[in-house]
Amino acid sequence: MPNEPVDLFFERLVEGEPISRRAALRRMAAAGLVVGSAGSLLAACGVEGTKNTDAPAGTAAVNHPKTAIGTVTFSNWPLYIDKETKPGWEKLTGGKLKYTEDYNDNEEFFAKVRQELEADRPIGRDLVAPTDWMAARWIDLGYAEPIDKKNVPNAANLQDSLKSPPYDKDRSYTLPWQSGITGIGYNPKKTGGKLSSVNDLFDPKFKGRVSMFSEWRDTAGLVLLGMGKNPTTASKQDYLDAISKIDEENRKGQIRRFTGNDYTKDLAAGNLWACVAWSGDLVQLKADNPDLEFLVPQEGGMSWSDNMLMPKNAKEYYGAETFMNYVYDPAVAAKIAAFVNYFCPVKGVKEILAASDPELADNVLIFPDAATLGNLNPYPSLGNAAEREITAEMQKVTGA
Amino acid sequence: MSEAGAPAAAGGGRPARRRRRAMLPALFVAPGLAWLILFYAIPVASQLWVSLQTGNPDDGFTQTWNWNVYPDALGEYDEQLVRSVGYAASATLLCFVIAFPLAYFIAVKAGRFRNLFLLLIILPFFTSLIVRTVAWQTLLTDDGWVVDTLKSVGLLSDDGRLLATRTAVIAGITYNFLPFMALPLYASLERLDRRLVEAATDLYASRWTAFRKVTLPLAAPGIFAGTLLTFIPAIGDYINAQLLGTSRQYMIGNVIQSQYIVVRDYPVAAALSFIVMICVLIILAFAVRLIGTRQLSEAAVA
Repeated sequence: MPNEPVDLFFERLVEGEPISRRAALRRMAAAGLVVGSAGSLLAACGVEGTKNTDAPAGTAAVNHPKTAIGTVTFSNWPLYIDKETKPGWEKLTGGKLKYTEDYNDNEEFFAKVRQELEADRPIGRDLVAPTDWMAARWIDLGYAEPIDKKNVPNAANLQDSLKSPPYDKDRSYTLPWQSGITGIGYNPKKTGGKLSSVNDLFDPKFKGRVSMFSEWRDTAGLVLLGMGKNPTTASKQDYLDAISKIDEENRKGQIRRFTGNDYTKDLAAGNLWACVAWSGDLVQLKADNPDLEFLVPQEGGMSWSDNMLMPKNAKEYYGAETFMNYVYDPAVAAKIAAFVNYFCPVKGVKEILAASDPELADNVLIFPDAATLGNLNPYPSLGNAAEREITAEMQKVTGA
Repeated sequence: MSEAGAPAAAGGGRPARRRRRAMLPALFVAPGLAWLILFYAIPVASQLWVSLQTGNPDDGFTQTWNWNVYPDALGEYDEQLVRSVGYAASATLLCFVIAFPLAYFIAVKAGRFRNLFLLLIILPFFTSLIVRTVAWQTLLTDDGWVVDTLKSVGLLSDDGRLLATRTAVIAGITYNFLPFMALPLYASLERLDRRLVEAATDLYASRWTAFRKVTLPLAAPGIFAGTLLTFIPAIGDYINAQLLGTSRQYMIGNVIQSQYIVVRDYPVAAALSFIVMICVLIILAFAVRLIGTRQLSEAAVA
């Protein structure tokens, strides 16, 4: 056989020597695979929509019995927890927390798990952290599992202002992880003085040193405030107008980049002088570079929450609920707030921090006063079709 | 089945054997063909199929044979398409200008350090593309030493910058694709028979003429391979534009990515992918013709 000419060897193969049953089975399986995949190919004539056509499960009947807890997987945004809080929950419940920081961008994460959700399969996570509008999409499409509130008694500590967002009126599916303000981050040394208005971003002196988020809800929302409109009640056309203003400025070269969370690097490095920014990032950046400032513009800022949400078909509903309950304990929430520096959705944290870290407790970006809160606007709710159209317009400006 | 088949085949005699011999070429081609069908033809066909659908991501897309998506997508994104070809061509040219002397030096002059230099070319590949590009972000910051130096030499105006400009994007592509140009060039220059160059100079060719008439044509396969290996992936690249550029430098890859992931308009995304593929095929066909005929004429001269 080793010295057999190649063509003879292949000939023998074609002739068919006795083959083992195992090999025959393997061949048959391979053939079946081909037929099977051809079948699914034919079935996939159209691209299926993401909308779950099954009737959404009632939230009243939700019951997640207490069971032994295995590994709870939480996909959260980067740098968004004090990891010291993890062993506390593990000791308390006997479960294991797999905390991953792979939630970098709402759309990107959704695109990653969409097909599993659509096919009604588990996505390998027990908790995710979508921002309000994305949480609304998950709930709307039937991808969220309702929370069994019996397992989360600490949810009563939720701040009143966050208790009934339009997309989840009685918080049946979501609990805020952290909330924040979208305003302007800047370096007064570079800009040559304090800024006060959204429209300062369009000051020609700062040409090429300004960045904005590529996500329209924050960016166009702020620009609308600068145009004297209320971004929460603004119409689709208002948003499109704001986007064409952004487009105009971008074409002039005013705007250096459209970014996601990565603007922090450019701001810290001095590449950016002023930018649309999130409050918690600036509290953290300020710790390293005291020159940086966060501004809630005189016209107002945007407010938002990232929410804990259990995807359908997760393995550990009960485990995830005990974790939500754990982080809504004010003592634990205080630790996270002290590390993360966004504003904390849990009542009673300020009092705890006042004792341990009075400077943080007085920070209006972590514990906004009534005046600041009154000047903040939640995202609009314009419906899927209109929001898709705005997204497409914004992408033409920012993502090409 | 085989037990029963074997004696029958053995008794089949010569005609059956000849038939089987006739099947041999098909057998050799089969794995390659299966590969092409599975990983090229089916995906391309499915892209074409999806591109002609209409609908929205929530309710789904249905097949409507909407051919208008092609003129529409081309009209909307012609700017990015032209830019992609322009950036990829500039970067390929730069790669060639940098890589040729480099490859020549390693192949001809490096002696026992040859392997070390080759390793140095490949070494960056041990780090991820993203990490390498992010490193450039740090190097090219507005207040960094690179920009400061260029300013003091007068190559950049005082309010000039490198990041978020076209220069940075093209430089990034050049940097990231350099090995794809350098290695094929090295391979063909290393094989080059030095005695041919010697013979040319013996016959009173100047060093430049010898280079032009002997070295360069003999390196043509390497130049060809390097150009294709650099140019084709560079057209579809979007990491460099994303990290070192702005939306004013975005390439067609950025558009496709945003259409698939953010806008979720799959037909437009699929149509653009298909258009890019067609563009690449056309360019490839031209290149083959061009290089092919040139080599032919050279053979005729010789």
